[in-house]
Amino acid sequence: MLRTIHNVTRKSLWGLGLLIVLASCNKDLPEPEPIVPPTPSGSSIADIVAGDPNYSILKAAITRANLTTLLSDKSKVFTLFAPDNAAFQFSGIPNEAAINFFRPGQLDTLLRYHLIGGLAYGSSSISTAFPNMYLQSMFVLAPPSTALPPGLRMPIFPSRNSFGFFVNNIPVTQADISAANGVIHRVAAVVAPPSQYLWDRINADPNLTYLKAAIQRADSGAAASSSLQAALQNPAANLTVFAPTNTAFQQILTGEITLYLMGQGMDQVTASATATALASSPTVFQNPALFSVLTAQVVQGIVVYHLLGNRAFSINLPNDDTNYPTLLNTAIPAHPGVTISASFGYTGVTAATIKGLGNPSAANLLINPTPAPNGTSDQLYINGVLHEIDQVLLPQ
Amino acid sequence: MRKCLPLTIALFLASVLTNAGFSQAITLTGTVRNSSTKEVVSAVSVTIKAAQGGTYTSEEGNFKLTVPHLPVTLIFSSIGFETKEVVVTSASEPIEVLFIPTSSLGQEVVISASRLPERILESPVSIERVSSASIRTAPASNYYDMVTNLKGVDVVASSLTFKTPTTRGFAGSGNTRFNQLVDGMDNQAPGLNFSVGSVIGLTELDVDNMELLPGASSALYGPGGMNGTLLITSKDPFKYQGLSMQIKQGIMHTDGRERSLSPYYNWSLRWAHQVSDKLAFKLNTELIQAKDWLADDYRNYKRLGTSGQIVPGTRATDPNYDGVNVYGDETTVNLKDVLNQIAQQVPFWQSYVSSLPSDIPVSRTGYTEKEVANPNTVNYKISGAVHYKFTSKLEGILEGFWGTGNTVYTGSQRYSLKDLKMAQYKLELKAKNWFLRGYTTQENAGESHNLTVTTQLFNEAWKPSTTWYPQYAFAYLNAKMAGSSDLDAHKIARAAADQGRPVAGSDLFKSLFDKVRKLPIPQGGLFLDKTDLWMVEGQYNLSSAIKFADLIVGGNWKQYVLNSEGTLFADKPGHPIAINEYGAYAQLSKEIVKDVLKLSAAGRYDKNENFQGRFTPRLTALITPVKNHNFRFSYQTAYRFPSTQQQWIDLDIGTGRLLGANRFLWEKYNLISNPGYDPSTVPPQGNNPTRIEYQEVKPESVSSFEVGYKSLIAKKVLIDVYGYWGNYENFLSRRDVIQFPNGVPGPVYNGYSIVVNSPEKVKTYGWGASVEWQLPANFTIAANASSDKIKDVPAGFHAYFDVPKLRTVLSLANSGFGPQKLFGFNVMWRWQDAFFYENDFAQGDLPAYHTVDASISYKRPKIRSIIKLGATNLLNQYYRTAVGNPSIGGLYYVSFAYNVL
Repeated sequence: MLRTIHNVTRKSLWGLGLLIVLASCNKDLPEPEPIVPPTPSGSSIADIVAGDPNYSILKAAITRANLTTLLSDKSKVFTLFAPDNAAFQFSGIPNEAAINFFRPGQLDTLLRYHLIGGLAYGSSSISTAFPNMYLQSMFVLAPPSTALPPGLRMPIFPSRNSFGFFVNNIPVTQADISAANGVIHRVAAVVAPPSQYLWDRINADPNLTYLKAAIQRADSGAAASSSLQAALQNPAANLTVFAPTNTAFQQILTGEITLYLMGQGMDQVTASATATALASSPTVFQNPALFSVLTAQVVQGIVVYHLLGNRAFSINLPNDDTNYPTLLNTAIPAHPGVTISASFGYTGVTAATIKGLGNPSAANLLINPTPAPNGTSDQLYINGVLHEIDQVLLPQ
Repeated sequence: MRKCLPLTIALFLASVLTNAGFSQAITLTGTVRNSSTKEVVSAVSVTIKAAQGGTYTSEEGNFKLTVPHLPVTLIFSSIGFETKEVVVTSASEPIEVLFIPTSSLGQEVVISASRLPERILESPVSIERVSSASIRTAPASNYYDMVTNLKGVDVVASSLTFKTPTTRGFAGSGNTRFNQLVDGMDNQAPGLNFSVGSVIGLTELDVDNMELLPGASSALYGPGGMNGTLLITSKDPFKYQGLSMQIKQGIMHTDGRERSLSPYYNWSLRWAHQVSDKLAFKLNTELIQAKDWLADDYRNYKRLGTSGQIVPGTRATDPNYDGVNVYGDETTVNLKDVLNQIAQQVPFWQSYVSSLPSDIPVSRTGYTEKEVANPNTVNYKISGAVHYKFTSKLEGILEGFWGTGNTVYTGSQRYSLKDLKMAQYKLELKAKNWFLRGYTTQENAGESHNLTVTTQLFNEAWKPSTTWYPQYAFAYLNAKMAGSSDLDAHKIARAAADQGRPVAGSDLFKSLFDKVRKLPIPQGGLFLDKTDLWMVEGQYNLSSAIKFADLIVGGNWKQYVLNSEGTLFADKPGHPIAINEYGAYAQLSKEIVKDVLKLSAAGRYDKNENFQGRFTPRLTALITPVKNHNFRFSYQTAYRFPSTQQQWIDLDIGTGRLLGANRFLWEKYNLISNPGYDPSTVPPQGNNPTRIEYQEVKPESVSSFEVGYKSLIAKKVLIDVYGYWGNYENFLSRRDVIQFPNGVPGPVYNGYSIVVNSPEKVKTYGWGASVEWQLPANFTIAANASSDKIKDVPAGFHAYFDVPKLRTVLSLANSGFGPQKLFGFNVMWRWQDAFFYENDFAQGDLPAYHTVDASISYKRPKIRSIIKLGATNLLNQYYRTAVGNPSIGGLYYVSFAYNVL
């Protein structure tokens, strides 16, 4: 009996030993958990464009530019300013067939200018402050390199005020169309990249010949590299030019020269007639007899007083009189600058004035945002924006 | 003082030689055999009844003893045998003694519980014992690991060879609340503050026993033992003689999870020899070598000063990834600041940059522990002792331990302890009623370095952050502007900034890494530490003088000499910092009712020159209403002075500066004239900036009450249960403060981690229970369970309690089966519950785990040898004992031990 108990005990103890070995099973040690970014939901930008008949011209352009793959990639992020068919037509491209007149490379450049990479800018993230935002489009002028780590991209200028959302002063007709890989804003016209410098406009515009002459007078004696003309041709510059028209220059020159001649002892009628004759041509700035009045320094002071060191489209101009520094402030930091105010409607600015410290009244911005050569406001160039005005601004 | 040592040895040897004369008397010889197996029994104590003198049987079971006259009564005793008295009338014939084996359950004698020998069953406080016999057959790969299976013990494994046991909570490597004494010497590295446990100390063959006192034990063992004390005693060369050796060969990493299959070596050798009745010596050496377990927790850690939490994220999915066991990625910068600086230079990026979030934390690319830590863990120990009996009553012992090794330790960071050297030398005089010993611990950190700091500085040496981050920022922006998503842009940016990054293991990597790790802090990761400890202590048993009770008195003086050349402590090269401590204790014990009630009272006073003196009492009662049923009650207090690091550390750990409590350090960093702020009160975390003023730090203390019951039923079942309640006061911990240069919160600040006393009392409580049952056919089944809990932890306070609410051990052993009962086996299953682990290095959930150790042994009595096949973590189920510590897999070995039976 006792023996049996012993045997049973012994067997069960061996069993217990085996059980102990088998019983222990650990869970796997905790492993690092990757952060899974939310899977982008919805259609890609390319899909949205392809699926909307209003974008058929844009779609054709994307296809011809070979950008479909890029814009279908849901792992990427873009802000696209998308011209619809009406926008293309407004900009002179009537239909899909017209797209074939462009080389794919041209379309690639054009379309990349409509794109901002890496961020989906919703309309609410567009600043309403002056000056408007200065963002980098995906149109690459110079790729990043060791010598130029940031690279160079053609800038694009979204802006916003209480009436709407614009890009390069072109109204956004439908904002915030969200896509899996970013956001689309429908625009009223093709957002064409600038191809000229400010100087190209000033140099060629028959209505700005006095401004051109004034700049040349201001640059006389200056080294070519530090001249105003050079700045207006520099691709890295970023300026706003308030360009007085020829009439504006003639007006101020006539007045100033008359005063000068009267100071020289000439009677008012003769002086006025002489001054009108002298001021009738931009060569007035090259007239040695007037060098003592129109000194290079005085002219330079006046010209730089028309330049802002940033790119101000009219959309973000202030509603009420607000002073802004001009390039004159680099020489005279305490100068109050120019006083600007503007009023707006749904199509953009309706009226804008700019007043120099020395002017009795404010100059008007000549509003016509159509493309060059006829346009006179919000004229975009590689290195700045140009607005024509009807008075010469006087710093004192 | 180092130079004194040879002189001391010379003096000692001189006294040995002059005392060599001894009077002639009658010499008895004989042999002791096991009555059932007829095998010889070695190390049996042979004493003369009612007289002085005695000896032990040799490895062949023989003894030789000189007696003054005949007839005499000899007493033969050894654990596991019935004590036998033999009357000897004649010296002409060798004496043959048949020794009857018996159960040793509950009969073992322990010394540490009362500093007096007593049966373990009658100990007035909880105590656990590991004997050399159990070490022989245990599955553990190293004797030190055996404490893991004792009840109430938690062991934190920082590496294969660096394990830190503790009891009653507050586990962690470098635990300063648990004392370890080896042959009476404090085993704590005096500068690094961790007990070096298995790194130096005894070799496996030289361990006689380990006694573990869970719970407060300062009253007898001095400051430090707040949570417990482990006492390891070596084998007496008079008792255990001859040449013994053990070769353990194993394999690890069998599944290639961490590393490819690699060998484990553990070889040890012991030689003890009795030159004469008076002189005996021993020499020991041991080598352990293996490829270490790997700390491979690559989870993402969000660091907030010395605190933090595990968060989702990997290197590929979190630009600010900071892996727990990935180093160098602690360096983090808000990329937005770099981008803003770039936008200043590149104005046309301004709008784009300002559209980005204000907080873009980016960490540098780190290297895993596998890539930066030396995989070889080596431990080489050598020790020796000379014992000389001046008279039969007075014995002198000169003992030395020396150890060196490579291992990894977890402190505020992971530290590669490379070529760490530790030495301990002791000179002791021991009489029946008193002892006097002096010893020193000499530490040399060798080429030890902080892996985090070294890797961070390695990254800086390869490419400074001032270059790396701008490169990253440019590449990040360019990638984004090309349409990349944020995460992709980060990936591209990292690849760009990391271009040419040295591949771990390449020549470039090695040469650069070696350069950095060999430079002292703060230029590199090396910490120089040659801190010493000097200690003198003595004890006298006055029982025979006062008669009415047992009284022991003792005292000690201790000096720390902190010498880190300014790399760890606030000392300067050539000007070490000395810290003096002294203490005295007395214990009175009395058997009030014979065999029924025994009371004892002990008290101890200690003074550290930097802190107020402390008195700690201990009261115990042992009630034995029925024989073999013992109830124990004890009230103990214990305390500890801040560790040497808590007093004098001055170390930049990359994420802030660790400061000791000494006022000198507060003055050095202007924290008195310009106190720092509690970071949680300063914006953006809070809006009520609160300063932390200087306060003198007090020693922390615990008072604990314990009840226990131990009984032996039918000589077969040993039961032990206990419950305790502890109250911690003036709890020493660290807190973060941030100091602003002009005293007003702003963006620029310096972070410090300072030592403070917690204003709150923290309570701990717990229980433990064990049963050991001797069954027929040589089976023994044992089980234990224990629990430790903490309460009243103030919100935001890190107690670092770090123990599971429940742990259990179940074991089944057979001490003899098969032919001639020469086989034995041992299976042990251990389980512990999950808990939240926190230390300075990392905090997070530690999963529950099971593990099984097993061994089968085969005895060869003729050559007194054991062959053992063993496995720890038999099923190779990886587990970790702390967040950030290695995952431990299976180790399988076969060992041959000669002359150990």
